[in-house]
Amino acid sequence: MAEEHVEYLVIGSGAGAAPLTATLVGAGKQVLMLEKGPLLLTQAQSPDGLSDFKRDETFATGAEKRITTPGVANQGQSFYASHVEPDLNDEPHVYREADGSERVTIEGYTAQVVGGGTQLYGGVSLRFTPDDFRLASFNAGRADLRNDPNGDVVREARDWPIDYDDLEPYYCKVEELVGINGTRDGQEKPASVDHYQPPLEPNQISAFAAQGMDALGMRRYRTPLAVITQDHPPSGRTVPVDRDTIKTAFVNRYGDPLGLKSNTWVSLLAPLRDKPSFELRANCVVTHLEADGDRIARAHYRDPLGGRRTVTADTVVVACSAIESVRLLMISAQQDAALGQRLNPNGLLGAYFLTHCFGGAQCIVPARADKSKTLDSDWATDHCARADWIRANGLWAGGAIYNNTSDGALPISLARTWHAMDMDNMWKGYLYDMGILGQGFEDYLEGNFGRRLSVAFMANQVPQRENRVELHRSATDKWGRPAAFIVKDWHPHDQALMDTLADQCRQILASSGPVQDLSWGSVGGSVVRIANHILGGARFGADPKDSVLDPDCRLWNVDNLYLTDGACMPTSGGANPTLTIQANSFRVGDVLLGR
Amino acid sequence: MQTATVVAKSDQYVLNHCSRLLARDSGDRRHDFGQYAPDDARAAICEAWRLPVVDSHYDGSSAQTSYPYNDVTFVYDGRAAGAAEVAVLGTFAALYEAVPMRQIRFLGEDTGVFTATLRVPKGEVHTYKFRVDGRHVVDPINPQLVTLDNGQRWSRFFTEACQVPLTLSRRQRELLARLVAHLLPFRTRENRRFIQQVYNQIDRGTRGQQFPLAYRLDEEVGVVNYIDKLLARAEQHNLDDYRTCLSMIDGILRGRAGGIDPLMLGPEQFQQLYGEMASDNVDGWDKGRYGSPAYFLLLLRRHAMTGAFAHPKSGGNSGAAGWMYLESRFRDDQDNTLFDWRRAIEAPLGRNTDYRG
Repeated sequence: MAEEHVEYLVIGSGAGAAPLTATLVGAGKQVLMLEKGPLLLTQAQSPDGLSDFKRDETFATGAEKRITTPGVANQGQSFYASHVEPDLNDEPHVYREADGSERVTIEGYTAQVVGGGTQLYGGVSLRFTPDDFRLASFNAGRADLRNDPNGDVVREARDWPIDYDDLEPYYCKVEELVGINGTRDGQEKPASVDHYQPPLEPNQISAFAAQGMDALGMRRYRTPLAVITQDHPPSGRTVPVDRDTIKTAFVNRYGDPLGLKSNTWVSLLAPLRDKPSFELRANCVVTHLEADGDRIARAHYRDPLGGRRTVTADTVVVACSAIESVRLLMISAQQDAALGQRLNPNGLLGAYFLTHCFGGAQCIVPARADKSKTLDSDWATDHCARADWIRANGLWAGGAIYNNTSDGALPISLARTWHAMDMDNMWKGYLYDMGILGQGFEDYLEGNFGRRLSVAFMANQVPQRENRVELHRSATDKWGRPAAFIVKDWHPHDQALMDTLADQCRQILASSGPVQDLSWGSVGGSVVRIANHILGGARFGADPKDSVLDPDCRLWNVDNLYLTDGACMPTSGGANPTLTIQANSFRVGDVLLGR
Repeated sequence: MQTATVVAKSDQYVLNHCSRLLARDSGDRRHDFGQYAPDDARAAICEAWRLPVVDSHYDGSSAQTSYPYNDVTFVYDGRAAGAAEVAVLGTFAALYEAVPMRQIRFLGEDTGVFTATLRVPKGEVHTYKFRVDGRHVVDPINPQLVTLDNGQRWSRFFTEACQVPLTLSRRQRELLARLVAHLLPFRTRENRRFIQQVYNQIDRGTRGQQFPLAYRLDEEVGVVNYIDKLLARAEQHNLDDYRTCLSMIDGILRGRAGGIDPLMLGPEQFQQLYGEMASDNVDGWDKGRYGSPAYFLLLLRRHAMTGAFAHPKSGGNSGAAGWMYLESRFRDDQDNTLFDWRRAIEAPLGRNTDYRG
């Protein structure tokens, strides 16, 4: 049988992969998409009328499993994963702890399923600000940056090779085609067209956040969320008759059986299903790429039962989330030194790995709300993303602030996230709080259920070359391929930024009424916490000596290889990254059509 | 016993549920958390307990008529054996009628992996085998195995909301009930009355519709049953912990009470025991048999919390009593509930008719 050949091979099906696929297939191009995870349908799509996503708390955080990877410091420890997160023993990610020990982590995995991380995310769909794309220019010549005695920040800040205006039409395109609800007024992100669907009534608990923002003079808007609130003609989705039932709290970390959450599968890929030039193969993992001179000639992959297969393609796009994309290129390079030289001539592949400066404040509000009637967030403010605020605080960049509404909204999630700062520590806070039993359990419910309010910030992390993704020297996945090894830490300026933004969040809650138990903080004390925002490691730029990808997200020295997920980001942006990854993917789709 | 009702499922559905388990090169025992014998090849398979797949059923017409059933999907990997004809037979069908399994295809090619999906009532336990080219074998992946009275080994599965004890003895379950009753809030006089009223107040029709599978609505709201089922399937690796620790706790409490049955003891003795377990230092605990009483308490607390508030299909949160407790307890000024779980959960358990469970 002749080897299969396609025009475009797209590896991954999430935010970086689906938009450009929609563009290519829409223009009549032939695309084969390989996705490692399963294709889980919505009720409406499924022939049996049932979805493999359920409103079931044990789907978000399942049964106990234990880390068995040899030689890591947390071997034997428990972990709890969603049904579509990778199994850590089959596909470990190892990171270096601050004390130098190495541990397996579930942080930094998005989801292994068609739609990728957009299946499980909360759907917060903020744009970056214009300044987020030009942080080198913004900070040029500054000497007022806090906690930066060596001038690292100014030296390492980068402008993107594209600016806000280049991306703006594509932001509009995502907002229209993906399906997002929210409000525009009050944002620091100018929009040429407003495609937002109207938001639903906010949860009652969010009134406290709104009051706090107002008291501080922070302009607020309804957080843009990738959940449809009206019928959505571009994707053919319809909403329930009682639109208020769209709010369920089964949002963050849950796939949506009704397909109302606008993941890339329901919004962008499912509408292509009947096009003869598009084929999506789920449960297929690409193991490595093979080169022929300056081109990728073929991809080696395993089919759903592990059989070895190959496919050749005119153009290959890698978009399987930053850590995994970088790992795929590194594994491919390991098998072919000449390809390695092309992929990584300057040693920057894997370097400048980024996440987000992230943190916030939480409290107990005086009036209980039914938090089960909610989406992921209600109110957002760009107050701390404004240039004058950033400069006045001696910071290099700002960030978005928004309130969370679905956190701890359901009884089991309230317990398993109790004092748990990251996914690796799920359940531990509750379990070690030995007072929560009998009457203590009553008090715990009385004090917390429906009364916890949190406000979070999401801000730029300083790029540092030593923050990087490598291949681990001994840990392997179930295919015998080297596992990813993640080394990262915070810059002192990150800490100053996080302290400042956490204090802004504290002020919001302190100004919201007679709240109790107010606490605030950030991920600054933890090197592992990633919030599943995995970015950088293959940044794009205008200078081939300073970047891995050219401005079109093509590998500088490989004619037909593109990388279009968050790995391309030179800086992490002052907001959740998904909308920007999607917009950039649409942009690259147009680039590919123009070649 | 009726003839098995076969349900159509797509190859994509079956691959979605078994690719993660079956596709691998590594034979390392990456998934052995202590639940497997040293020669058990299942230790190389991720979440082997997921087979057979027990999923919701929908008959295409109504939630009421669909709700009493599950779809159970069997998968047999016949690649190594070169199997040509595979069937499944078990107690779910008349006289062990063999239900033929079809081969899954991928890209138009046979895969060597066989499947069949059957409609099975909720709340049941069944044993089954595969018939592979005339030879009867237990499921090589599903770790649930039982030895019947005639000495034969069979594979086992149970459907949702199953109330049949599978792993713990009556004595162990009764002691466990006392232990978890002290962890959860349902034991206070007021809450105990509430839990009883929930069931007594609803009329027979509603009872049949809303709680068709809840037979036991007691102080621990089905948590003991939840744990029994968890130890039978997804957390089989914790079963020995329960057996060992329950036996030791039984002995320790009996010794402290001068031979009185621990089930007759008051809450004070259990509270004292918790304090000692939390500090990892229980008077009379044989750390040679089980190293850390605190660890067992953590296990117990996670399972109690999950079992009280998980979806009732898990066998816990019996009749949704855990959710109803929160629903009734937290009200606003107008006496509207502040935990309206029914609006999101599928009918007939909840009242959402868009979502089918």
